[in-house]
Amino acid sequence: METNFIFAGFGGQGILLAGTILANAFMLEGKNVTWYPCYGAEMRGGTVNCEIVVSDSEVSSVHKQDTDYAIVLNQQSFDRFITRVKSGGTIVANSTLVAEARPRNDIKYVFVPMTKLANDLGTSKVTNVVSLGVLASACGIVKKEFLAKGIEKVLGEKKKDLIPLNIKALNIASNEGALV
Amino acid sequence: MTNNNEKVLIKGNYAIAQAAVNAGCQCYFGYPITPQTEIGEYLSGKMQELGRAYVCAESELGAINMVMGAVATGVKAMTSSSSCAISLMQEALSYAASDELPVVVVNVMRTGPGLGYIYPAQGDYNQAVYGGGNGDYNLIVLAPSTVQECVDLTYRAFYLAQKYRNPVMLLADGLLGQMMEPASFGEYPYPEIDVSSWALTGAKGREARKIYSVATDEKKQIQHICDLHRKFEAIAENETTYEEFETDDADIVLVAFGSMTRNIKAAMKVLRENGVKAGCFRPVTLNPFPHKQIYELARRGKEFAVVEMNMGQMFKDVKYAVEGLSRVSLINRACGEWLSVEEIVASVENILKGSRQLTASL
Repeated sequence: METNFIFAGFGGQGILLAGTILANAFMLEGKNVTWYPCYGAEMRGGTVNCEIVVSDSEVSSVHKQDTDYAIVLNQQSFDRFITRVKSGGTIVANSTLVAEARPRNDIKYVFVPMTKLANDLGTSKVTNVVSLGVLASACGIVKKEFLAKGIEKVLGEKKKDLIPLNIKALNIASNEGALV
Repeated sequence: MTNNNEKVLIKGNYAIAQAAVNAGCQCYFGYPITPQTEIGEYLSGKMQELGRAYVCAESELGAINMVMGAVATGVKAMTSSSSCAISLMQEALSYAASDELPVVVVNVMRTGPGLGYIYPAQGDYNQAVYGGGNGDYNLIVLAPSTVQECVDLTYRAFYLAQKYRNPVMLLADGLLGQMMEPASFGEYPYPEIDVSSWALTGAKGREARKIYSVATDEKKQIQHICDLHRKFEAIAENETTYEEFETDDADIVLVAFGSMTRNIKAAMKVLRENGVKAGCFRPVTLNPFPHKQIYELARRGKEFAVVEMNMGQMFKDVKYAVEGLSRVSLINRACGEWLSVEEIVASVENILKGSRQLTASL
């Protein structure tokens, strides 16, 4: 069983970091996982994305044409990746920056005002971690306990003081009862 | 992240760099180029921490010549680069092979020819395997397919280079360099090689040694070339490695190298579900190439489809290996987005319907 996720948004929204936390969470759970970024002439303010594939057995191709889940934090990414969501798949969108439209009727939609929720915590910088919490609520195989471990692993000793804020961000969406 | 068995989520480039550190690489010389710049970035800090040498060279030509100088003294050293800049090192690699210097060079392939761009590709197969430098020489070429193998084959590269006094190229690709995957480093698993019989360590108390490739005596040069050739025959005999999956009952064997291996393995599973008896074969050493093993599969009546991100480079080696005994088809794309499992499955099914050769369009 193989599931893939695309994270996409503006450069600077912490897209690659969100993907890295998710990939670490899967690794810590003992699953096979890969993380692959779009790479090239990327810049702050441009678009960025990464793809995570998790599998019970060896991961096959790390970069696929379609995706089970797209987590999009801005409008451009919504427009670009909605076509790549598999029929029956899910798009998780940051409704602070994405208009709530449902152009396809064969996929599921989760709209949560992630940037607003992050701002409620005092900083839009944790929007990416809010999106992980939303994803965990929308997707059974993503588990919050391992995401929390993933956050600890990625932030490490150096950024230890940021862990409590990020754990709050991870939980805020479900605390708000904001979704699904 | 150093010597232990804990799994860490790590980029292929960083994995290569840390594995080089663990292998005892004392000197790194390099010049930045996407998609392998993280190797130099990582080592720029790490080598300084450990009191080893890191030099951001003035050019790739400078870097590879610095590696030659360093390894001539008996220490382990390496450089890393990508495609168009690896081309700048070809003269030195020919010299290093003739001088029998244990140079380790990492090529994280991007697309060419010429400057090309930073998309991943596998277009340097011919250059790596057949050599871009002059004269009769061979590099040992190792092609990792996962981040774990970026670690394991970097270890092996340092070991084989010193064991045989032969330049080794680790041939990775941009996809592998940029992706992250869990890997563990363990410890450098090979014995240290005694280099005291040839290394240039100062002639105090012994006769002076020279390492050079100029050959003004014809007979001696014939002997030298034959010695190099015999050495490589021994390498082929002892060090050729490959993987095969479900080839026993297979009618068609998919062949790939590097990170494309994971795609053919997944395609094989789908094909089997669709009732096609498919198997997989993957050379780990591209040079020496597992000709014998492919010939043996051909002799047992299997046909082949080579899947690669170039215009059919390893394809020719597989054709050569089967000696006309069976059909060899090509499934390929020039560069960029790796052939998907679905594309490979569809291409194989087309081949079995009679289509000879398939070049995937954009």
